[in-house]
Amino acid sequence: MSVRRKGPKATAIRIITYVLLVVVAVVVVFPFAVAVTTSFKRNTDIFTYPPSLIPKKDSTIPAADVGLDGDPVPVFTFPARDDRPGRWALVDADASLAEFRPLDDLERVIVLDVKAGEKTGATVTIDGEEEDVFLVDDGGTQVEAYRSRLTSGGLFVSVDDPSTSVLDLVNFATPAREFGPRFANFTEVLAEKDPETNGKGVGRSLTNTVLVTILVVLGQIITSILGGYAFARVQFKGRSTIFLVYLGSVMIPFVVLIIPLFQLMLQVNWRDNLVALIIPFAFTAYGTFLMRQFFLGIPAEIEEAALLDGASRSTILWKVMVPLARPAIATLATFGFLYAWNSFFWPLVIINSGNPDNAVLSLTLSTLGGRSSTDTNLVFAGTVLAMTPPILVFLFAQRYFVENSASSGLK
Amino acid sequence: MGLRDRGPRTPRVAVDTGVQLVAAWHLVGVAAGIVSMLLASRSGDDALPAVIKLFVQVFSIAVTVAHLAAAYGTFRRMRRARTVSLVTNYLLFVVSGSALLHQLGAFTGIGKFGTGLNKAFLPFMVIVVGLLWVLVAGQLLAKKPLAAGPNGLRRAGWGLVALASVWFVIAADPSGMLSMIGDRITQPLTLGTLAVALCSGAATRFMWQRRVAVHFGTSASEEQTLSGLAFLSPNLIGFSFFFAGPLLFSLVVSFFEWKTTGTGRSFVGIDNYVRALSLDLSSSDVANAGNEVLKPGYQVLMHLDWFGQNWVLGARDVEFWISLRNITIFLVLAVPASVLPALVLSSILASRLPGMKVFRAIYFIPSVAGVIGVAIIWGQLFQSTVGWINYLILRAGEILPFVDPPAEGHPWLSSNSTALLSMVVVFAWMNFGFNTVLYLAGHQSIPKELYEAADIDGANVWQVFRRITVPQLRNTTFYVLITTSILALQLFDIVWILSTPEPGGPNNATTTPVLALYEEAFQGNDQGYASALAWVLFLIIFGFTFAQFRQQKDGATSGGVS
Amino acid sequence: MAAVTFNNISKRYKDGPKAVDDLNLEITDGEFMVLVGPSGCGKSTALRMIAGLEEISDGELRIGERVVNEVPPGDRDIAMVFQNYALYPHMTVRQNIGFALEVAKVRKDEINRRVEDAAEMLGLTEYLDRLPKALSGGQRQRVAMGRAIVRSPQVFLMDEPLSNLDAKLRVQMRSDIIQLQARLGTTMVYVTHDQVEAMTMGHRVAVMRKGVLQQVAPPQELYLRPANLFVAAFIGSPAMNLITADVTIEKATGGDQPDDVFVSFGGHRLRISPKALDRYPGLRERNGTKVIFGLRPEHFAMEEDLEVGDDQILTIRCDLAEAMGAEVHIHAVIDVPPPAVDGAPIAAEDDPEALVAGTKVIARVDGIHTIAMGQDVRLAVKTHLTHFFDPASGAPLR
Ligand SMILES: Nc1ncnc2c1ncn2[C@@H]1O[C@H](COP(=O)(O)OP(=O)(O)O)[C@@H](O)[C@H]1O
Ligand SMILES: [Mg+2]
Repeated sequence: MSVRRKGPKATAIRIITYVLLVVVAVVVVFPFAVAVTTSFKRNTDIFTYPPSLIPKKDSTIPAADVGLDGDPVPVFTFPARDDRPGRWALVDADASLAEFRPLDDLERVIVLDVKAGEKTGATVTIDGEEEDVFLVDDGGTQVEAYRSRLTSGGLFVSVDDPSTSVLDLVNFATPAREFGPRFANFTEVLAEKDPETNGKGVGRSLTNTVLVTILVVLGQIITSILGGYAFARVQFKGRSTIFLVYLGSVMIPFVVLIIPLFQLMLQVNWRDNLVALIIPFAFTAYGTFLMRQFFLGIPAEIEEAALLDGASRSTILWKVMVPLARPAIATLATFGFLYAWNSFFWPLVIINSGNPDNAVLSLTLSTLGGRSSTDTNLVFAGTVLAMTPPILVFLFAQRYFVENSASSGLK
Repeated sequence: MGLRDRGPRTPRVAVDTGVQLVAAWHLVGVAAGIVSMLLASRSGDDALPAVIKLFVQVFSIAVTVAHLAAAYGTFRRMRRARTVSLVTNYLLFVVSGSALLHQLGAFTGIGKFGTGLNKAFLPFMVIVVGLLWVLVAGQLLAKKPLAAGPNGLRRAGWGLVALASVWFVIAADPSGMLSMIGDRITQPLTLGTLAVALCSGAATRFMWQRRVAVHFGTSASEEQTLSGLAFLSPNLIGFSFFFAGPLLFSLVVSFFEWKTTGTGRSFVGIDNYVRALSLDLSSSDVANAGNEVLKPGYQVLMHLDWFGQNWVLGARDVEFWISLRNITIFLVLAVPASVLPALVLSSILASRLPGMKVFRAIYFIPSVAGVIGVAIIWGQLFQSTVGWINYLILRAGEILPFVDPPAEGHPWLSSNSTALLSMVVVFAWMNFGFNTVLYLAGHQSIPKELYEAADIDGANVWQVFRRITVPQLRNTTFYVLITTSILALQLFDIVWILSTPEPGGPNNATTTPVLALYEEAFQGNDQGYASALAWVLFLIIFGFTFAQFRQQKDGATSGGVS
Repeated sequence: MAAVTFNNISKRYKDGPKAVDDLNLEITDGEFMVLVGPSGCGKSTALRMIAGLEEISDGELRIGERVVNEVPPGDRDIAMVFQNYALYPHMTVRQNIGFALEVAKVRKDEINRRVEDAAEMLGLTEYLDRLPKALSGGQRQRVAMGRAIVRSPQVFLMDEPLSNLDAKLRVQMRSDIIQLQARLGTTMVYVTHDQVEAMTMGHRVAVMRKGVLQQVAPPQELYLRPANLFVAAFIGSPAMNLITADVTIEKATGGDQPDDVFVSFGGHRLRISPKALDRYPGLRERNGTKVIFGLRPEHFAMEEDLEVGDDQILTIRCDLAEAMGAEVHIHAVIDVPPPAVDGAPIAAEDDPEALVAGTKVIARVDGIHTIAMGQDVRLAVKTHLTHFFDPASGAPLR
């Protein structure tokens, strides 16, 4: 579009353009941001409202800050109590407390030290029980109250001023939260499947996916190089017919092949085995076209020169053509990688997903993250693990993508 | 001094002797073929599955005939004999080699290899890094005009790879695998296969030689054909075995009732297709009549009200028809949603303003990220109580007067009315970036002069887009529309993950043809019927593909789609 | 080293006319043979048949004593230099030159020695470790040569090896190749469409047209005794002027006086020196008929530079005068239809202007003259050097 224009109107258009682009970019990136942050959250953290992009943990401060030694102590706030602003460290979660209820307002609870309050000597009858009346301190004023319960609770020390402390029931306080990613999500999701340790067995699926992807890509590269070379450069009888059949084959959607392939796998006993994900996919008509196209673009004279140099066809292929075809091979490898890594339908059909030894990532994730999903944080850790390699590969191999997407028929 | 002054050659088998050996081997092959034919036809059904048995018989006959021809021709030194012998031996080598690997458990052993790899993942990663290092070091060196510099860097890489390999082998502990192979290879059948593989392999190698070609007087074009087929063979064999063969088989199966497991299979002609496509329309007096007004075996698909008359449309396979309806709605919504943004964005990205490459890369990411992960993420976004979508709508409602958020979070995925729409959103989000890149390729074929001329004529941005960009991208648009449609028609993964409470839910609101097929074939039990569904779907998709091929032929200039 | 023999060789591509038609040619051992002809005449096809890169449709090809029709290229022991050099882009100069040896499994140190010798000979030593893309055109060309000579083949084949170089470098490389071939003594088949190259380089030159061999001869002979109209028109630069002319022979009055032969065309009339009749005796039988009169540009001179009779002066109107320094080319048009053989203008392949009405002629005169456009010029003609051809067959009137 018109880029070369100048002037305020053009500048305005340009600004609008960038705003539009950025908005779309945010729409694209935001779900990934959600995924990444969720993968670092605690599971309880995910189902809070409003949703947040920040993984949090309960705050603690070093024990030394409140004059203790030992483990860090948790920090709380009292959002409902205007008289207790700021952050409070829970230095003793098991302090002996007493709950007092003022006689003029039996609904209120005053939590004090178990030794607090002075018996007035009077008694009062509550719910048919006779109780002693105490004079207790209620925020500076002395009120008459009875002791409704002896319990244990927390001794809180103000973080800002460690000399101030209060006693209260722990569940009257709200844990203070701060930024805190949970890295264990990743180790747990990768760990061997085990309800005890909460391991999800994604590690094994990852290994399998890596294995399958590498072998599929290698297979595709080799068969495509050989086939593409034959189609491009060897004049043999039946070449155009076979090529036409190959061309036609890309019109067949994979759905049509699912059932017969499944039957074939049953016959050779490859069901529920990784090999079923590899060998049938080591042959690709698209890859063959890609390589053929590239080989056609290499000047015939280079090959003829090699022929005259006494090289055999296979020497020419491996020593002359293949080194020259590196960009095409990189393209092929990238597409093959993405295809193999992300494929889902076929693994779903052929692999019994109950058995993590044979499952690939997409399959394991679909089981983990499916309708009966628990441990959403772990599911997202797995998702992030599964997405990172293809995105990295894409970013590194972008050049090949952008050049070849149109002709690759990735879709 | 020509090239001939090479060192002394290793002595080779004399051509005549070799040829006679090969001929003798072919005679052995004839005998073996007959024997295996007899064995196969006499073995009981329980020993061999029927399909395998048939395969063995056909194969044996073919092998016998080929061997016979090869043996005769080779003895008589006929010109074509070398070709026949080579093809026979090569195919035999491939088959026996595969059989050998099968017997040794090499194929199914990949799973066990996975176990080893899992144990030794760390050294494996080191190997990968080392190899990448070697490759990258090579690339960097090759970039310089003075190539072949010091390759100490590379050597270090190889060293690393070697060390890691040792580590890998120790960590992966292949002893179990090796001992299994050792056990199996000593079995007589395996040894026999090994012998066949070795003999046919050796015969192929021998006959392939140039001097043997001279001996038989092979013509240059014959030689070309042989080497062409040799190069193509790995591809072609795989293609036939895993594509062409299954394709034919699928067509056959679609005319059978073919149980997924067990042996129930019977020929039913076109019944499967009839069942899939049968519809029945009947009028009724009551507004919501049930199945009883339809022919037996039909179920209500929908109720219609035409001119005061109530109609009931029924189908034998209601779910399939619903899936067709769903996919039509999906197509109508999802295709424009993933193509129109691409058209607009590509026009901006094509302008070569700074930063366009970054945006291009960002937009592309969803299409490479993997559909399962994407669906899982969107499942969370669509969550009705704590999902971001509802939250953002709520927040938008606070700022923008015209957005009227529902009081409670909307259950996007479990509401009949929005479930399919949610799938549209995910699909469009995943695919618009890819389409943008396709469009960018199209942009490259628009002559820059057109824009310059428009600039001079003072056309504004909208006019340029409307009058130049869009018409010039017509062919690309067509290609993008078709490929996106084909993709949309095969919608499965997103639905599989996102639909709730069961795949295709709620109330079949998101059932798609592929899902129906999957359930029929792998959760139901009739692969014959499922195959018929697959072919119906294929015909629909083929319509689109065919249109695309026609277009590509007509418009050779279609942008970037060569 | 070996001879190369074409025996009735033909080549027909699929659904095309014959690219090479019944070629008989013997290239002797150690000879520098140039195949020349306009583009598309089948030179490359002929060369590629020697190389084994094209199948031979018909006939027998020998290298030395061996019939090589069915021998694959790599076994023919020949080396070829291509127009675009066809260097392996991913290999260094050293690897490029050594590739053939490497394929033949020659020992490493031997390869190195021979590659370095070849590089030394071609002045490539300091570029041995560069990739082709880091070389200039001339250097690439030399690498291609190095790749050929390192193998010490029986025959060198070169297909327009200089046409991608600029003019100055071309002249330089031309003499380098000549010297190289002379030194190595290897049989050379050299294809070019440039007749200057052909004339300067070849021991013998084979002129081809539309797949048919027209003439094989040493350069000077081609120039002096072209075998037909096509060769006459093709060899020489600027090309020979060919004019359709009427012949009149006037019987000599004296007894041993030779007859007077005149050619007339477009209102001009020239008396032909009797010496020309010695070379073209067939002209005597042509009284009153049309012939094609061939006159090389260099056979003109300004009237004042050459003493000739009045009836050997041609007066023409100068349409264009190109001053080239040493010489001036005077372009003019003679008012006769341009000659044609088989209905097609002879030089059409090279010169689309040949289609203009009237026959274009060029005269080359000494550079000291200043000639204005539109000026009438009186030119003396060296009629004893002129050529005569039969207008129907194009054959010389010998
Ligand atoms: N591979 C081919 N297929 C068909 N025709 C060809 C092929 N190569 C050359 N020709 C035709 O053969 C004729 C001679 O070509 P060539 O030998 O390349 O001519 P040149 O003398 O210019 O080198 C031309 O008419 C050309 O069109
Ligand atoms: Mg040529």
